[in-house]
Amino acid sequence: MDRVTKEKGFPLTRLFFKPESSSMFILIVMLIINIVLQKNFFETKSIVRNINAFAPLILLAMGQAIVIVSGGLDLSSGAALSLFTCVLTTVMKQNEPITGFYALLVTFAIALMVGIVNGIGIGYLRIPPVIVTFATSYIWLGIALFLRPTPGGETVGWFRIFYRARSVEGIPALIRTMDNFIPPALILVLIGCLLWFVVSRTRTGRYVYAVGSNMESAYVSGIDTAKTQMLACVMNAVFIFLAALFFVAQNQSGDARMGGPLTIKSIAAVVVGGISLFGGRGSIYFALVGAMILELVSKIIFFADIPNAYQTLVSGIIVIVAIAGPAYVMFNKEKR
Amino acid sequence: MKNEIILEAKGVKKCFGGVVALSNGNLRCRKGRITGLLGANGSGKSTISKIIAGVYKPDGGEIHYNGRIVHYRNPHEARQDGIALVFQNLSLVPDLTVWQNVVLGIERNRGLFLDDEGARLLAREILEELYPGFDVERKVSELSPGEMQVVEVAKALAANPQLLILDEPTASLEQAQVRSLFACMRTLAQKGVAMIFTSHRLWEVMEICDEVTIFRNGEDVATIDFDTEEKDPEKIIGYITGEQRKTVVAVNHGKASGDVLLRVKVKSKTRDKFLDDVSFELHEGEILGIGGLAGQGQEELMYALAGSYPNVRCEIELKGKKIRLHRPQDAIRHSILLVPGDRQREGLFLDHSVYDNAIFPRLGLRGHPLWIPEREYRRMCEEAVRILSIKTPGVDAPVNTLSGGNQQKVVVARWLSFDVQVLLLADPAKGVDVGAKRDLYEYIVKLAREKKIGVLLYASDNEEFVEYCDRLLIMYEGQIVATLQGDEINDDAITAASMRVR
Repeated sequence: MDRVTKEKGFPLTRLFFKPESSSMFILIVMLIINIVLQKNFFETKSIVRNINAFAPLILLAMGQAIVIVSGGLDLSSGAALSLFTCVLTTVMKQNEPITGFYALLVTFAIALMVGIVNGIGIGYLRIPPVIVTFATSYIWLGIALFLRPTPGGETVGWFRIFYRARSVEGIPALIRTMDNFIPPALILVLIGCLLWFVVSRTRTGRYVYAVGSNMESAYVSGIDTAKTQMLACVMNAVFIFLAALFFVAQNQSGDARMGGPLTIKSIAAVVVGGISLFGGRGSIYFALVGAMILELVSKIIFFADIPNAYQTLVSGIIVIVAIAGPAYVMFNKEKR
Repeated sequence: MKNEIILEAKGVKKCFGGVVALSNGNLRCRKGRITGLLGANGSGKSTISKIIAGVYKPDGGEIHYNGRIVHYRNPHEARQDGIALVFQNLSLVPDLTVWQNVVLGIERNRGLFLDDEGARLLAREILEELYPGFDVERKVSELSPGEMQVVEVAKALAANPQLLILDEPTASLEQAQVRSLFACMRTLAQKGVAMIFTSHRLWEVMEICDEVTIFRNGEDVATIDFDTEEKDPEKIIGYITGEQRKTVVAVNHGKASGDVLLRVKVKSKTRDKFLDDVSFELHEGEILGIGGLAGQGQEELMYALAGSYPNVRCEIELKGKKIRLHRPQDAIRHSILLVPGDRQREGLFLDHSVYDNAIFPRLGLRGHPLWIPEREYRRMCEEAVRILSIKTPGVDAPVNTLSGGNQQKVVVARWLSFDVQVLLLADPAKGVDVGAKRDLYEYIVKLAREKKIGVLLYASDNEEFVEYCDRLLIMYEGQIVATLQGDEINDDAITAASMRVR
């Protein structure tokens, strides 16, 4: 029966009804609306500002996408992000530049731990991912609150390299000029993309899809499904770690509660990017598209002068119309 | 050395929960020989295959492989040791492509990254023998069940096995594919590969196997070596069922006796390759077969009549009255009821109980009471279990604990309490053993004759048409190309008509 539905319709409509292309289409529409509303959209300054605003959600969404494709779900990603910011700002001492490296090492180790703990729960103990990560989200939050009950903390001066490289003292002139065009946030996102590019060409990348698509089949094919799911969680933690670097550099402080709202937003971005919540299907890179769509919606609302009180309401409606619209048309076409 | 024993299983035991699946399993395989494994559903033949391949751990007994005792912890270890299993419930990953599936678990690297070109080449090479012209770039979820089975075989071959276990590989294949599979198996046998082959189609086992071992109630009851003993199907069936029983003489090929029950005219809205232009009449009490090569629109026709194939315009008259079939509910309300072939995917809620599955379609009826009349339904369900002699510990047992044949009976059972007019059977005996298949069909024939029900039957095995159909329509590319009646329905005629030889 699948063959039948596939061969229906004109090539163009078929293209539109692929989840990926419809996400791409929505992104283009959002961009056009945004360009119309925002007069200075193409100025370097505003492009940099956009990238800075989008990068954290993009990173979180890509990490989340890996977990979801592997058949899991991470409800703790926001809490993990908060935790990493708190650890970074606790280890760093303002006047000792070397502590910046310690902070990076310690936090990276903790990120790996976070991934491993989630991975053990999902992969090895076979507890439903929603339950595991809901529980761990409170653990991460608890540790973060212990370290930093109120927002604050210290950072070293050079840490701003992850946000605005030119403001770091003694930075080479080349990087300083480059920073005017290529903000560090973009580089962090590119690092994330490169990471997945490499992984997707190894066994692990293939197995992430296999396990999410049909765990039983993957298992009998000799794939270590538990290990694969754990590696997905660890990769997710690395993406969250990258986002944490940006946050701390931007805000110069850690905050145990800043990440909370980002969890659901990252999951939404994954879905908007055309990735199946049931796993195995969709492109990790399209989490980036999904995240951009969500962020553009908030921007459009901001520029459209909608009263404060209605902003969230309107953004919800836009997301539903943008996502459900094509899906609804597609459903009617494929109804059988 | 040829004919050297490669595998010997001795006294293998296995229990699932409290149920004994295998009490004393013995099996011997030799290099370059094909051992047939026969037995009813639930006789333990699937279980012993899976134990040998490392899917299950045995509770007792020994397995000697290449002269040493082996304990595999998972199928991967067995595969690395040269034992490959072609799974009955396919081990393919739907969202990956064909070639990705063929090398799944045994990928090779080229440098840091995976060697995708090599994998494509390997997949193409293996599939060229089994199914010339197969596109390895397609996703497995887009394949037909027959094509998936071919890929499954290719996947097992990719590991270069010394012992290949084929667990009902032919159930969803059409005859031409079965032929190429057999040819491939013979080539492998010449190379010295030992094979274990299971199938419910006796003629296949007779044709391809060098010896058979028959299982009944968790034990091996007989081993027949075809080199020294003659191939006697009656004797084999006797071992399988445990009773000496003659093959039933083909159910009388009655003429279409009753009045016209259903007049069908189906035309596709767009030019559909699968269901183009079909019209026929179904009489009361008639069993009408829909045959032909696999995938010529037979299943699509069934779905159209069940109201779940949107791409066609149907003009349907039931007892002279025009009816509209837009949704499955429409068909159910007119008592046109479908028994889908793929019970695991379309017919059943596998995790739910027999009872839940049996009453489920009633809940969607117009005017169904708000409160479910549990007591009445339980009674109905228990009666259906009795009538169809479904082997289950109770109506509350989850369906996935039953064997394949009994699962299919549950699908039939849920229509029993309806006032059936037309029964659509889409390959109902797929993966059902000889005995249960006979039970099921005999019951359906009886039902059709007594209650004047029209039955539309699609089967992937021509034998079922020969035995049970009054009339047979042959489909080709979405159209009916031939009609066979009475004694014309035999294997040769069906094959000839399907291939459009005449």
